[in-house]
Amino acid sequence: MTRQADEPLPADKDRPYLGGPEPAVEFGRLFDAYARPLHRYLARRVGQETAHDLVSETFLVALNQRHSYDPRRGAVRSWLYGIATNLLRRQVRQEVRALQATARSAGHAPGQEASHETRVADRLDAAAMATRLAGALAELSEGDRDVLLLTSWAGLDSTEVADALDIPVGTVRSRLHRVRKWLRANAPKMTTREEDGNA
Amino acid sequence: MPENDDNVRDMWSEDELDRALAALQPAEDIDERAYHRAKAELLVAAGGREPAQEPVRTAAPKRRRWAWWAASAGTVAAMVASVLVVQTVQLDNAVPSAAAVEQLNWAAAKAVSVDEPLAPGQYRYIATHAWWMASMNEYSYLAENLLETWVPADEKQDWLWRRDVTGARKWVSGTEQEAREAGFPIDEAGWPEGEWRAPCGDWFAEEEGREPCATPGSWQVPNAEFLASLPRDTDELYDRLRADTEDRGQDPDLEMVVYVADVLRTGLVPADLRAALYRALAKVPGLQITEQVANLDGVHGTAYGISAKGQRHDVIVDPGTGQFIGERQVTEEGYENLPAGTVTEYTSVTTAVVPAMGVRPQG
Repeated sequence: MTRQADEPLPADKDRPYLGGPEPAVEFGRLFDAYARPLHRYLARRVGQETAHDLVSETFLVALNQRHSYDPRRGAVRSWLYGIATNLLRRQVRQEVRALQATARSAGHAPGQEASHETRVADRLDAAAMATRLAGALAELSEGDRDVLLLTSWAGLDSTEVADALDIPVGTVRSRLHRVRKWLRANAPKMTTREEDGNA
Repeated sequence: MPENDDNVRDMWSEDELDRALAALQPAEDIDERAYHRAKAELLVAAGGREPAQEPVRTAAPKRRRWAWWAASAGTVAAMVASVLVVQTVQLDNAVPSAAAVEQLNWAAAKAVSVDEPLAPGQYRYIATHAWWMASMNEYSYLAENLLETWVPADEKQDWLWRRDVTGARKWVSGTEQEAREAGFPIDEAGWPEGEWRAPCGDWFAEEEGREPCATPGSWQVPNAEFLASLPRDTDELYDRLRADTEDRGQDPDLEMVVYVADVLRTGLVPADLRAALYRALAKVPGLQITEQVANLDGVHGTAYGISAKGQRHDVIVDPGTGQFIGERQVTEEGYENLPAGTVTEYTSVTTAVVPAMGVRPQG
């Protein structure tokens, strides 16, 4: 979790009023506070360059919709990640293809051969585990992937994820529980190209 | 989530899942130039007067004329560092302006006669083969993007747009094997693919919460009203181009060619306007015939272009019919690993009339 690094704003800035007459000041501050962590999150999902565009778009959309932001309903960070999540929907195919490509590349990844030979889950190194996970992530629905990765990669808590996705917090928790359980059971079973070839 | 009845292996622990999540796609920091550019754009949009702290641009600047695409499709800019073609061209072959003017005016005279009108129910089919570049470090290839558009006679009806990264590649620098070994994510297309339908070709209106057909036309995304509004008189059209390109692009004259190419590339330009555009183009100072017989994927035409700021932009016209064939860009200074004279993008455009949406022309 990277929350501590991602929360440079003082607490009273978590829910700023954005409808003021000088949006440039408030949005300059928002950008400074959230653009880098937001980019890091998006880059992990759709790659560096697309993430640049999405960060830019997220803040422009936020600017245009600033009057719809209600500080009483959630922290501004959740609101920004919610906008970014919506924009990310256009990239689902790209994201899934990249995950599948990562999964397929497993056969060539360093460390993979040893793990293939031993086939012992607890001996898998992190890189090999990540390639299996990629294949499993590609199987998830968008909504499930959003909940998981907003939590794990963006470091949002359940309440923030709920605000970002505009769903009840109970739904976030149960979905997260279900997704993690499914991944723990199924990611280890994801076959690599090498194994497909042997089958 | 699909069931998986494979032989049961050990289930990961919560900790193992977290480790795998942490190891997948390690985080990358934002590029500082992109950071400052995005912030500057935001502050300008917010009406701020804070000066843009953008560092001096050293490499090719973000290509403005794709901005509409990047803003709407989101991903086009993804892997398009700059766009190059395998072929290189001779740089000192240009024919002086006088001949360019004469030939272009000749092409304009031909152009008037080749408009195919649409009958009700028919569609205009526009196929654009765009070769765009992906590069990583010293590796560069051009990928063929096939963009197909079906335009109804009544533009307020649904249009259809298909985008496909065909898989055809031309390596400009390095080889596919070397690039794969260096970790170049070649198989991540980087450009959007799929199918869109929308009235007026306003593909992203719905998801952006806009009314379709409400966006005014432009040189880059023209609609019938915009095309009708452009003057057919050579001098007036020239002045309009000059006014609309003012303070844009890297060079005033070069930008005139860019705008003409932008609108011709859409395949929507009627013959009378096409002829007027050629005549206006012929007036642009410094326009030269850069190649008498330019070859765009086997289709030949005359290349007219302007050089400025180390690059050249050519518009390629079939001298026999006045039909716009395509365009290309050439780097005249070269980049690392890419010699001067490398064609830095090319796009060929063909149009036809077809009986229904989604149907390709025969033959």
